[in-house]
Amino acid sequence: MGVAKLKKAELYYHKSVHEQIAAALQETGACQIISTTEENQTRPAEVEALISSTEEKLADVRYLNRTLTPHYVDPIPALDRMLGERPEATMTELEELANNTDLKAICESVRAVEHETGEIRLKLSEAKLNDSILSSLAFLEYPLSIFTEGTRTVTAIAGTIKPENISGFKAALGDFSTLAQDTELILQPYNEKEKPTEVYAAVIYSRSVENEVREACSKNGFSAIEIPAFDGTAAEEKEKISASITELEAKESELAAKMVELANANMLTVQKLSDYYNSLAGRYNGTAKSDETESTMLTKFWLPANKAEEIKTKIEAISTDIDLTLSDPAPDEEPPSLLNNGSLVRPFNILTELYSSPTYRGIDPTPLLAPFFWIFFGMCLGDAGYALVVFGTILYVFKKYKKISVGVKDFIRLFLFCSVSTFIYGVISGSFFGNFVDSFVPILIPLKNSLMLVDPMTNPMQVLGISLLLGVVHLMFGLLVAAYDKLRSGDFINAIGNDISWFLFIVGLCLFGVATGGMLPPHFVQIGELMAIIGAVIIFFYAGREKKGIINKIISGFLALYGSTSYLGDILSYSRLLALGFGSAVIGMVINLLGGLAADIPYVGWLIAIVVIIGGHIFSIAINILGSFVHPLRLQYVEFFGKFYSGGGEPFTPMTLSQEYINVKA
Amino acid sequence: MEMLGLSLALFGAALAAALAGIGSAIGIGVAGGAAAGVMTEDPNKFGSSLILQALPGTQGIYGLLIAFFVLNKLGLLGGAGAVALTWNQGLQILASCLPIAVVGWYSAIWQGKTSAASIQMISKKPEAMGKAIILPAMVETYAVLALLTSILMLMGVQVG
Repeated sequence: MGVAKLKKAELYYHKSVHEQIAAALQETGACQIISTTEENQTRPAEVEALISSTEEKLADVRYLNRTLTPHYVDPIPALDRMLGERPEATMTELEELANNTDLKAICESVRAVEHETGEIRLKLSEAKLNDSILSSLAFLEYPLSIFTEGTRTVTAIAGTIKPENISGFKAALGDFSTLAQDTELILQPYNEKEKPTEVYAAVIYSRSVENEVREACSKNGFSAIEIPAFDGTAAEEKEKISASITELEAKESELAAKMVELANANMLTVQKLSDYYNSLAGRYNGTAKSDETESTMLTKFWLPANKAEEIKTKIEAISTDIDLTLSDPAPDEEPPSLLNNGSLVRPFNILTELYSSPTYRGIDPTPLLAPFFWIFFGMCLGDAGYALVVFGTILYVFKKYKKISVGVKDFIRLFLFCSVSTFIYGVISGSFFGNFVDSFVPILIPLKNSLMLVDPMTNPMQVLGISLLLGVVHLMFGLLVAAYDKLRSGDFINAIGNDISWFLFIVGLCLFGVATGGMLPPHFVQIGELMAIIGAVIIFFYAGREKKGIINKIISGFLALYGSTSYLGDILSYSRLLALGFGSAVIGMVINLLGGLAADIPYVGWLIAIVVIIGGHIFSIAINILGSFVHPLRLQYVEFFGKFYSGGGEPFTPMTLSQEYINVKA
Repeated sequence: MEMLGLSLALFGAALAAALAGIGSAIGIGVAGGAAAGVMTEDPNKFGSSLILQALPGTQGIYGLLIAFFVLNKLGLLGGAGAVALTWNQGLQILASCLPIAVVGWYSAIWQGKTSAASIQMISKKPEAMGKAIILPAMVETYAVLALLTSILMLMGVQVG
């Protein structure tokens, strides 16, 4: 239970076996390398060489992965992949595959297709641009060479002009007193009612009046456009370009098909090699942190104490030139932390890890929060029917998928456990798919009622009381853990002043209140009173202990007692247990109600009712699981952890085989 | 005048469903924009982004829940026919709807903004998913409290 004991290993070995050592350390999946080298110290040359050759291969693999993935449809559905249904291979098989695969050749063929596609796309975009220019010049009947080359005496300019400037432009062109007949303005036909923002126009003019025409253009907002070199008229050229666009597009889709073919042929290999080379890079980057002499290396790493012997035997079997010493962490060392809990608590590890891992010598809060989270989740989802659905689905998943990875399996198991508490709370609060029993199977009502202990629908105050009481228990437990943590390190003053005092004060107040209300024997009134007073006195004096002067002491004492409002807020926060449980029950009720209304529709009513009820409850389960996970988690993180836990540990991250795409066996 | 009570109560139910629903729609919209932005860089973030985007959606459901609660109390669901309501009782039901209507509306918008920020966070640090979920949930606390207040108030109002 708690944070696992680690051992520090110092491993001396001859350089001739460094590859085997690196592989063995990685395959155990339980060794976290400690960096023994300084930041800028050179790394062992043997390892460095392996890293750079691996990186070279990785660069190719990454290129292929990045380029081919968009063209590849994974034959394995994403959900199956997540649940471990992936190809399998051993490291030896992968090594063989790596040796028999010509990565460079694959890269070259992919690059060739990629390059050609790029060229085609470039041509295509150019053709499309020309096509659009030609469409707008379709009104011209002259060969387009007049714009680029012209004749000996005549040339032309094309562009756009705003309709309101046309009359001014015409006037300006007509103003060339000498040769008004030397210019011809041709306008794109347009409909004045549509009010186009601009109109295409061409001016054909004698070279002798070039300067005047240019001036008229610039004065009247005529913006020229560049016409590419063409021989025929716009209509003729457009026909040619359309033909070439069709051709280019055909070629483009041909290349795309080729890419898909390449992806289908190579993607599996690429994925396997990606995992293989990433594993290699990982292990050599690990041992690169070693110290070296001319012919030996020293690698230091952390490993779990309970696996130490097993790993020692495995490593010493590699060669006789090996010396492995194990030692306990020194007091000034801060080892990483690995949570080590039994199978009942382990699924809850993720809740702690999501917040922050404990320090190596700190308290592991997982076993402490697990029962509370379990109960709270049950109260929030709180429906026996929903619990059965969740439970059944998870059992089905576990039966169908045998290769689920440990992390995913633990996370699913968390919900399996919580479905049990959900079922229990659903039964005692009489909720089965909302009020399904009352609405549709009245014969079971007596059974349901006989099992009910609380009834949030008619007596919500009772459940509110239970929620708040659970809150008090949860918070007080947190205070006791905080006190224990401080006492452990000999910090008696703060343990009593900070934690035990508040514990006495709040528990005393609660006993006093409950006993006064007649729910406990009357002598609890005095006990409660006494506890609350002792608690308050400690809080009062503890707060002022370092202040100078009686006035300051009194002020800070009262301020500390005013801090009880924050406990009031914390406790009221647990009212969400009632609200969320209520929410699930009422949403379920609404769905049954709608189903019941739909059933009244003639002929097809029963069908609609079934769809509404099944679909509605599936929706309700999904949305309520989200809420039932998030809110109890908040109660752990904010209210509970706030009393004693801040995490801050470095999680244990051993060297492992990369398993991004396939299941790799050692 | 004898229908005034019923009208007031219905007005309350409408406010609860409509305002909380508007808030959720805005909140989910804001978060969805952030999610789409993150997914242009990394489409694999769809799953975690979707969970964060869904968080501000609960206010709308709480509003709906209260609206149904009111309709059920008024006997408008099923064939039984509406109960008789004085205008005073109608006003009481309207008042009971206000906490979730107003708090649901505002808290969903702010929760959406927090969700959007959390989505940005997991785009840089996917391992911080736990913290990313908790931050928007802090905002939702007040919607839950408002829901609780509305429910308790509604249960206290005597009709029929």
